[in-house]
Amino acid sequence: MAAVQVSEAEKVYLMHGVRDDLRLDGRRCEDYRHMEIETDVVSNTDGSAKISLGHTDVLVGVKAEIGKPRPMVPDEGYLEFFVDCSANATPEFEGRGGEELGVELSNVLYKVFNNRHSVDLRSLCICAGENCWVLYVDVLLLQCDGNLFDAISIAIKAALFNTRIPKVRISEDEEGGKEIELSDDPYDCMRINVENVPCIVTLCKIGHRHVVDATLQEKACSVASLLISVTHKGMVTCVRKLGRGSLDPESIFEMTEAGKRVGKTLHAPLMELLQKEESLGKKRQKVGFLG
Amino acid sequence: MPFDTRRIRGPEESQSPLLFLSPDKVPEASSRQGVRGNGDVRPVFARCGLVSQAKGSAYLEAGNTKIICSVYGPREIERKDETDMKTGRLVCDFRLAPFSCMKRGAWIQGSEERDLSATLLESLQPGVCLHRYPRSQIEVNVIVLENDGSILAHAVTCASMALADGGIEMYDVVLGCALGQNGNTCLVDPSHSEECGSWHEGYGENRGCVTVALLPNLNQVSGLNADGEMREDTLTDAVRTCLDGCHKLYPVVQQALTRAVKRKAPPPEK
Repeated sequence: MAAVQVSEAEKVYLMHGVRDDLRLDGRRCEDYRHMEIETDVVSNTDGSAKISLGHTDVLVGVKAEIGKPRPMVPDEGYLEFFVDCSANATPEFEGRGGEELGVELSNVLYKVFNNRHSVDLRSLCICAGENCWVLYVDVLLLQCDGNLFDAISIAIKAALFNTRIPKVRISEDEEGGKEIELSDDPYDCMRINVENVPCIVTLCKIGHRHVVDATLQEKACSVASLLISVTHKGMVTCVRKLGRGSLDPESIFEMTEAGKRVGKTLHAPLMELLQKEESLGKKRQKVGFLG
Repeated sequence: MPFDTRRIRGPEESQSPLLFLSPDKVPEASSRQGVRGNGDVRPVFARCGLVSQAKGSAYLEAGNTKIICSVYGPREIERKDETDMKTGRLVCDFRLAPFSCMKRGAWIQGSEERDLSATLLESLQPGVCLHRYPRSQIEVNVIVLENDGSILAHAVTCASMALADGGIEMYDVVLGCALGQNGNTCLVDPSHSEECGSWHEGYGENRGCVTVALLPNLNQVSGLNADGEMREDTLTDAVRTCLDGCHKLYPVVQQALTRAVKRKAPPPEK
């Protein structure tokens, strides 16, 4: 991840603060930074969302295409994730620099969504064994200030909520071949149920305590972090330890419990906000990228 | 995906005959048929010093899972643009041989393998004293010859044995243990058919797979990877069970390492 250089004195100052539940910007250990979400920012996609979490900016676009289902599961569609760390974020990402980070982020997203309940894949089936909807979720990192996983997962949830997949009809033509017809009405579309989509919470271990939503400076002081993805019911879909240090088993249990608690409280306000934004409809003032 | 031009592959439209097999029922709790209990690790065969050209190497067999690992280094780093020259670097390469799984795998490294390499690196790094090898790089190459479940866990154990065999300084051996959760039963060290429901279709309710890498003497967890959908208390119990499994594996690894050392440097004859 893009790193900042932090001196020893700064590290000590930060660790002492965290020990007393006070971080550099005045937050407590389990508070998130100010978050702004906007959906439907890119008109060419079927669903999109932009999130700014402090100075981290992430843009997610979802495009639905018709493809062939996977041979092992012919009656389900699937999701494909791709994360692009653009050179916009930091100069380190120029050329192939950001590829490693992008691959790591995509792999985690695949693991997080690798279960039956996150997204109802059966609803993405058009014709079993032949056609299905494939949702290409493309994530673009615009600015990087720590806590990429959390921002990306929230943005994906918002983008999937915003996705409108056109309804299709299968008709048989004269020779018996199947033909797919998209309905002409642009408002006749299918929505995805995002109730069970998990959100990722990254907890960084600093000293003896853990912090949620770490900035780059805080990340430079921590040796290991735990990534946990939680659904609104409190089910855990993916846990990973990141970083080059090791963790005590007791800290892992503590961090898992804290991560689950924080993650669970993230879902309800998010859904409420998304539904409120949608209910504004045409009256909504679009902020876009310059807000 | 890069296209492999060196091998003749079947036509694009061909499908594996495995798709037409009737699906295996996910095994029930008693399916281990008394051969081993739900909480038992499979018996492990481990030997070091297999590959004569490598600095250190190890071979591990657990049930039908066969893994071989070789360690090269410390070598000089090729890229000179590393800002932090005070510590060495560990490079891990995890590969599954194309004949290792039921379905023929591609020889070119897919994203799953890159993910496993990254997890292996994260699990091994806390155990190796990299500050003793500044400006150097240690390469760890793991190949899975036969995949019968828990490959990541056994690869971690095999790699740390190979590092020890190669004389690389470490704080402690890193041991790995895996667990498959299926509803309310948890199976330690699952075989491929016990893990099987996982890879193709995604997990059902309270089903998942947990892999833990532990440094037993320091009691520090260096790697944790959990997949599937589980409740938090189930996850906590699963991690505790894996930690016990790691401790059970320790004597075997100790024995294999002392045997390798005795062979390389035989005690003086009286």
